[in-house]
Amino acid sequence: MKKYKIKLDRRSFLKKSGMLGMATLAPGVMLQELAHGRAPDEPASSKNRWGLLIDANQCSEECNACVTACNEEHGIEDFGRPTTDTQYIRKLKLTNESSGESLTIPMMCQHCENPPCVDVCPTGASFIRADGIVLVNKHTCIGCRYCMMSCPYKARSFIHENLENQVPHTPRGKGCVESCNLCVHKVDNGENTTACSEACSKEGHQAILFGDINDPDSEISKKLNKYKTTEVRSDLGLNTAVRYRGI
Amino acid sequence: MYKILSIKIPLILFLALYSGSSITHENINHNIDASSGDKCVEPTDVMRAQHHIFINHQSHETVVNGIRTKKYSLKNCINCHIKPLADGTYPSAKSEEHFCTACHIAAAAQVECFDCHASKPYKKVAKKEEDAQN
Amino acid sequence: MRDKTDYVIVEFSKAILIYGLIALSLIGLGFYSFITLEHEGHWITGMNNQVVWGLPHVFAIFLIIAASGVLNIASISSVFNIKMYKPLGRLSALLAICLLTGGLIVLVLDLGRPDRLIVAMTTFNFKSIFAWNVFLYSGFMAVVALYLWMMFEARYNKFIGKVGTFAFAWRVTLTTGTGSIFAFLVAKEAYNGALLAPLFIALSLLVGTAVFYKILFWMDRGLDIPMGSEIVKRFRKLLIYFIFTVFYITVLSHLTNLYVTKNHGYEFFLLFSLNTYSLLFWGCQMIIGTLFPLLILYNKKLSESAVGILYASILVLFGGFTMLYVIIISGQAFPLDLFPGYSESSTFYDGVEAAYIPSVYELMLGLGGVGISAAIYLFAIMVLDFTPKSLDNDAIALAGIPDPEPKIEENKEEPADEESKEELSEENQDNKQPKAD
Repeated sequence: MKKYKIKLDRRSFLKKSGMLGMATLAPGVMLQELAHGRAPDEPASSKNRWGLLIDANQCSEECNACVTACNEEHGIEDFGRPTTDTQYIRKLKLTNESSGESLTIPMMCQHCENPPCVDVCPTGASFIRADGIVLVNKHTCIGCRYCMMSCPYKARSFIHENLENQVPHTPRGKGCVESCNLCVHKVDNGENTTACSEACSKEGHQAILFGDINDPDSEISKKLNKYKTTEVRSDLGLNTAVRYRGI
Repeated sequence: MYKILSIKIPLILFLALYSGSSITHENINHNIDASSGDKCVEPTDVMRAQHHIFINHQSHETVVNGIRTKKYSLKNCINCHIKPLADGTYPSAKSEEHFCTACHIAAAAQVECFDCHASKPYKKVAKKEEDAQN
Repeated sequence: MRDKTDYVIVEFSKAILIYGLIALSLIGLGFYSFITLEHEGHWITGMNNQVVWGLPHVFAIFLIIAASGVLNIASISSVFNIKMYKPLGRLSALLAICLLTGGLIVLVLDLGRPDRLIVAMTTFNFKSIFAWNVFLYSGFMAVVALYLWMMFEARYNKFIGKVGTFAFAWRVTLTTGTGSIFAFLVAKEAYNGALLAPLFIALSLLVGTAVFYKILFWMDRGLDIPMGSEIVKRFRKLLIYFIFTVFYITVLSHLTNLYVTKNHGYEFFLLFSLNTYSLLFWGCQMIIGTLFPLLILYNKKLSESAVGILYASILVLFGGFTMLYVIIISGQAFPLDLFPGYSESSTFYDGVEAAYIPSVYELMLGLGGVGISAAIYLFAIMVLDFTPKSLDNDAIALAGIPDPEPKIEENKEEPADEESKEELSEENQDNKQPKAD
């Protein structure tokens, strides 16, 4: 009970500091508990904003561990039809047109703060959760694919086949649109990581860092403050929660 | 007299048919695993009439607000109620041996859940299938 | 302002039978395709995760655009007060309803979850153009139905002007809404521009006129509703205006894009790279769909014959269809540039032109929509008196006589045409007042 009260205080404090645009100056002591998991009956809260920091320098061209791990985590089957198969995450190879240097990065839903997919969805099935995760509510998705038209990152896939043997934590079925959900089941469980991030660390690359970018004490926030990072298509002003370093 | 009869006969017919259907309901095999606990999250008659309402409500709470309490979660229904087949694997929702399907066929109500949701427990089935392979 | 035209309920005839059977078989094909898609999923179509909207959407948008376009003929009579078009008013409104129904059914049957249509009708996100369109489309149906009622009921004929004006405003909004589906997609370079809305309006006028003429021609040959040279002359002029309008806005939109350096990639892709889309653009849209009809319409002999205008209409329909295909598909096929200054490649077709080959299922679904439009039309003209008894020059002239004091001055030829030209090009509803009331 007491704990809850402290949280309330912190929330109102954060709100104020956010309004003044000085969230980054907030003393870390007060925010220490933010990273802890929520209780199962506690709704996702806007005091968190989950995101990823992807370090292109750490990403290896040969490695595909994040993609494999994602497919396994969410039970994404390979039907051998690359144009219609679902991809939550993909390895993108970039070649600098002037220098010829190349690098690879994982690309997935960027979890925008102002997502075009949410704007265009006629039924509101595409939505942004309080903690910044952009999701598709498959109970109301009618499969019109307008969100796929609107996404600047080609992050979404349409389920073109009848599916069976889905994994319980990622329900998915024919006729709906889906995309990276930032392993929302892990987030709700307080695991503070994603399948891709875990797999990347396991390979020893540390290219994908998951964390709360609203929490100034989190590792991701510290890095975002310390290093120069980029937002893909920053010209669109979408304020993505996935940031890249080294591009 | 005729007037009363003309009202009563359809009524009697309706009641006869209706009670008939409930008799059928009692008779079908529920395929619910009774060994996993002594009672459900609500009394049986409440669950029988309203389980879809609980599940629908819970689905909204989970997807939109990230609330993952176990009580009315579909995952929990399945984990608790599903009854393994003779070979130790679990039936899929397509088979009448699945506890949802048998009843829903009898009631002629279509289940949409398993268009997307897993109809068998995740870890358990994986283990069983692994065992079967070994 | 009473309606002086005689209308008939069309009797069952050989022409109705033939076209009815064609319509029913198209519906059958569409239904088969729908059932197959529902059962198998969308992987059997040519659509994929890169080109998410394909041929069914081209068909649907074509029909929806044509729907708002055919209503234009009724608008000319009741909004712009050119009374010679009055005998066509009922047909015009009927065709609008038929075509819109056909288009919407294609759109709905192509959804991933068509069974959840009720969700789309009850849950709205008002930031979405799609949600707006649900209201625009259903509202259009209601407004046009009201319009028809005013036209059918002699007592209410006096309201035709007002309701017609409202319907006209509604249809302009509706086509703007349809164009905005694409215009407001910030991510896609090809669609980036509000010019798409006026382009769609112009295209709707053109396609609607062509569809209408095709129906009139069929009525003349199949149903013995004679069509006079006056009608041919007028539709020729309408077609010419609208072809030039569409052409003008098309050129304008490409010039705009060519001026913006970041859009050069797409313009090069579409105009000069000799792929499917540039061939369709130049060959089908520009030459077959724009140049050829103009040649026919300005040819001395052909432009005076009913058949000549029919050919022009058919070419225009073909051109309009390819135009939508080019806009809708090429915009998706053109790769997104996520990282300017880098070339991209991945297993998800980044940085390359996305492949799209329409499947037979998509074609069948689209044709099913056409079949539904045709079937509703054929059914409707057999149960209600939508069809004018005659459209020969006398009937048209009679309709054109102003009501209060029969002066015979603007019932013929040039002056009236000049007026219609000006009023149409302004697209201004305010012009209707003096005589409409």
